Amino acid sequence: MRNNNPAGKPLTEPVLLILMSLADKPRHGYSLMKDIESLSNGRVQLSTGTLYGALRRLLEDLWIARFEQDDTSREKQAYKLTPAGRRQLQAELERMRQLTRAATARLRTREA
Amino acid sequence: MDLRRAHRTLLRLYPSDYTALFALEMQNAFDQAAEERRLQSSPVFVRFLLGEFIGLLIGAGAEWIAKFTTDSSVRGRCLPDLRMMRPPGVPRELWFAATCRNAGQVSLPDEVLEAQDRISTLIRRMVHAIANHDFPGARRYSNEERQARNELRRLQEKYNIDDNGCS
Repeated sequence: MRNNNPAGKPLTEPVLLILMSLADKPRHGYSLMKDIESLSNGRVQLSTGTLYGALRRLLEDLWIARFEQDDTSREKQAYKLTPAGRRQLQAELERMRQLTRAATARLRTREA
Repeated sequence: MDLRRAHRTLLRLYPSDYTALFALEMQNAFDQAAEERRLQSSPVFVRFLLGEFIGLLIGAGAEWIAKFTTDSSVRGRCLPDLRMMRPPGVPRELWFAATCRNAGQVSLPDEVLEAQDRISTLIRRMVHAIANHDFPGARRYSNEERQARNELRRLQEKYNIDDNGCS
């Protein structure tokens, strides 16, 4: 299997938000749009074109999986995070934590 | 212009394998988001529509680029290969008989092979028409496919061949 993020490059914001949104439970398209808007405090409003383009890439990278929900709601197809996707999300969060620590340390040095 | 129709028209700009998998979901998500935004103020609704339509245009361009730059095995992880799928309505036996024939394992009369090819082609066209929401076209292909199937049945009786392609 190919290494989907060989250089450990930072994830784009839509991808990061999609992975975050799927971290707690599977969701369908519209539910993802709503949750991403809420996660970003209304700053990010994904269009269907952007959302499904990102979902297609994530499916190809095997970071998420598509499955059919059992309920009879309007949206039957839902998406869930795979173990590989969860690892990528954790790696990205660790990268961000490290950046935050470094930035905080620099600010403290300057203030002292 | 009907917004739903405009959205559906823009979806036709996407590659057909992408549309086959995602078009219905995208349409549903758009409908629900539009319903919600419509209840908010007019500027919010207009901004939403602009974002949607520009997003679809950019998305369609990006998907065509991805289609031509992504390896088919990688692309096949999520999108269906419409050429390889057994179309709905085609008996499994007929589909596999065609596969065996392509592999050179079964020898059938040319007339029968042509009739089978015609059915496969019509079904592919019908699936493509449905994927692109061309329902009158799909109906026309469906009628032609029914006639072609009757013709195949007549030929099978003539050559005493069953649905598995065996004499």
